[in-house]
Amino acid sequence: MASELRVNTLKDASGNNSIATSFVAGGSAKCWAITDNGAAAPDSLNLTNIVDNGTGDFTFNIATDFGSVNYSHPIVPADNDGGGGQDITVTSKAAGSIRIGTIRDDSNKFDNAHFLSVSMFGDLA
Amino acid sequence: MQTPQFQGTHLFDRLCWAKENLDGVQSDIRIVFEDPNDMDAPAKILVPDPNWVSAAENGGVLPPVESYWELAKDEAQPDFVKHTRGYLLHNTEPVGPMTETTGPYGGWVNYIIMKDIPQHIWRNWNEGNKPKMVICRKDQLPSTREWRNAWKISEELTTQELAA
Repeated sequence: MASELRVNTLKDASGNNSIATSFVAGGSAKCWAITDNGAAAPDSLNLTNIVDNGTGDFTFNIATDFGSVNYSHPIVPADNDGGGGQDITVTSKAAGSIRIGTIRDDSNKFDNAHFLSVSMFGDLA
Repeated sequence: MQTPQFQGTHLFDRLCWAKENLDGVQSDIRIVFEDPNDMDAPAKILVPDPNWVSAAENGGVLPPVESYWELAKDEAQPDFVKHTRGYLLHNTEPVGPMTETTGPYGGWVNYIIMKDIPQHIWRNWNEGNKPKMVICRKDQLPSTREWRNAWKISEELTTQELAA
């Protein structure tokens, strides 16, 4: 049966370590996705689609827009061949989308990542 | 699955409900498009998100696509700082069930095009010698990403053929 708890503060069993539920909700990822060698997402939250713009160049379109462009977005790429590392560049960002590129750090060229792990934190619209 | 009456519920909460209660739908639909303002760029390929597709097909979760357009207009203003009309996503009556090609907007493929592909592409997709946008299946695309930056919509595909 569906149920709902309405509380302002969470504490551990001994009554210590309190934390406001607003802190928990505000600090949770509002959008996340993993991709596998392209724009298909095996799993995600709050995403509409991913656009494959070209080699190492993807746009993540968000279903519930953020309140502004001031949201954070830790992104982790995994290199295709295991050799060399990859850097991330954000080429454009809006409240409802973010376009990122994966760049090989040994050639400074866009390169496909074997997978991308993307998450976004911030206040929603 | 009976969808709760979601009008007035934050869209994020609706999507969390959908993810928890509906099975994701991995669609083979791909939308390939080219931007006439950037002809040197490779063709772009839009891949629908499985959780979003299941919410679209279930109905009662997604807002009207026009709500997104209104927020985009706000964001395009030079003095934009933050959204103040998020309620358009949450309080507007949700869209009913859609298949790929039936239901509101003529199906979720049209909805997703109107939400996330620039209007100057989809409004005039069939003007010119070749289409700016093609809806196809995953297996109609190259199977590997080799020479990805050279991918273009075929010159042999004419708008007249598509219209027929």
